[in-house]
Amino acid sequence: MKNAWPVFRREFTSYFVTPMGYVVVGVFAAIMGMGFTLQFVMYSWQSQAPSAYGLTAVPDFEEQMLAPFMIFCGFLIMFLGPLVTGRLLAEERHHGTMELLLTHPLRDGEIIFGKYLAALGMLAVMMSLLAVPSLMLIHFTDVEPAVLGMGALAVFLMGAAFLSWGLFISAMANNQVTAGVLTFGLWFVFFILGKIGDGMPEKIATPSAWPTAVAHSVLFLYGILRGLVRELPLDAHAAHMAQGVVEPRDIAYYLLFTAFFLFLTFRAFESRRWRG
Amino acid sequence: MIEVEGLTKYYGASPAIRNLSFRIEKGEIVGFLGPNAAGKTTTMRILTGFFPATSGTAQVAGFDVAEAPIEVKRRVGYLPESVPLYTEMLVSRFLSYVAEIKGVSRANRKREVGRVLERCGLDTVRDRIIGHLSKGYRQRVGLAQALIGDPPVLILDEPTVGLDPKQIIEIRQTIKDLANDHTVLLSTHILPEVAMVCRRVLIIHRGRIVAEDSMDRLTGASDTIEIEAEGPVETVLTAIRSVTGSLQVECTGQGQYKTHGAADAATRRQLSEALVSAGCGISLLRPVGRTLEDVFVEATSGQEDAA
Repeated sequence: MKNAWPVFRREFTSYFVTPMGYVVVGVFAAIMGMGFTLQFVMYSWQSQAPSAYGLTAVPDFEEQMLAPFMIFCGFLIMFLGPLVTGRLLAEERHHGTMELLLTHPLRDGEIIFGKYLAALGMLAVMMSLLAVPSLMLIHFTDVEPAVLGMGALAVFLMGAAFLSWGLFISAMANNQVTAGVLTFGLWFVFFILGKIGDGMPEKIATPSAWPTAVAHSVLFLYGILRGLVRELPLDAHAAHMAQGVVEPRDIAYYLLFTAFFLFLTFRAFESRRWRG
Repeated sequence: MIEVEGLTKYYGASPAIRNLSFRIEKGEIVGFLGPNAAGKTTTMRILTGFFPATSGTAQVAGFDVAEAPIEVKRRVGYLPESVPLYTEMLVSRFLSYVAEIKGVSRANRKREVGRVLERCGLDTVRDRIIGHLSKGYRQRVGLAQALIGDPPVLILDEPTVGLDPKQIIEIRQTIKDLANDHTVLLSTHILPEVAMVCRRVLIIHRGRIVAEDSMDRLTGASDTIEIEAEGPVETVLTAIRSVTGSLQVECTGQGQYKTHGAADAATRRQLSEALVSAGCGISLLRPVGRTLEDVFVEATSGQEDAA
């Protein structure tokens, strides 16, 4: 695994040799800053005159300000993520440098982890920018640093899971544009399905004329479908964590999601090779 | 050093190489010849572990390509045909990255990169961005990355394609210099290049090896004599025919003739005597060796039915 390090270093450096890295980090900084300012101004208006906004009490800071901001950052990373992951493996194929990569003494694992670490590195750079609003909040409000930390963890886990998904798509695509568009597009489909899923009632009525066995199996399938579309979107498990509530199952969800797509990346990478 | 046994590769249903077998000994420099799409690149890609063969085995430096790919890759320097490079990197950074991957220790890395830069004539561009280099220099960077770590086996896929004549001569010299302590497999379709650089030739056509021998033996055997003689054509022809009836003669131009059938010293002496006694002045009489081109055309034609 020691050769994952030079792969990581080459990949990470090349983000900042080309404009890509600066564009991604710059756009993140700008939009994150605007989001923070708007959210904060909105919250302070609401808390100074709750009744003017139809509220009966001062809204909860964690719930109304912090969690939405953190999840907003998570979404921002998912918008920018395809730019980070799209090129990872697809560009090597597109430029033919895959031939170098595969004929140098590198194991598949070293290539894939090196690439994934480079994407995580970009995520870490973006996350480090979150220090600015966080320090301001710690200074000007009485928010617990631990709550902020959990919020940041939620963003990081969401981002890491999304990047593993992006890497998987990049392992199958032939150029970064295809990879990026597919990464974002398919994620967006799941996101919309999730929103529909939120509106799906827990039980549906089946016509009484149906035999019990049929009705039961329809209900069973419906339950699985509803569960899937509600659970699959990456933001589904972030809301609680972003408010500072730690649930092992939320963390496990993101870790499993990441592990699953890294595994699929391995398989896709291998199979592309065997198919020649 | 390289041992290939029954190697076959299919792309979908169509075979790229079929039941290929050959051996290359340590220290040999072998030219791998063939028309376009003959299977040269496919064979090289299997040997370097880029993709696996459909069937058959290949051993490089004592390791099986399919079973110990990492061991093979550590011992092989490979210059792919299209010379893929990370165009955004500096030349020296790129070579240092390759050195790290190939396991050159941190202490030796700078020296190794320096050695290869010098050998490939890249000293002056070491701090340039690869993407800004000319085709010739990129080709050299490609060769340089293959040489990093001083691997015992070098596999070079058309190393001189797209270079200007001066660069071609330089690269050929570099490859020749390598020959003593390296095993080199070099593919090309520039025939004179093989004649200049290689000691042994493999000719591949439609995925099969159609000729395999040392340069000398492939091009040595000749039965043609070139003659330039003065005098009436008919007189000359009669004189030549008088030597031996089995000799075929053709007039190839003003006072120029070619005979086929035998080219040994006795035949040549008889020819000159016959011509002189017929009163024809001889200005040239010499045996003509087969060129590699003849061998190549012979080996790669007339195979249509075999497909």
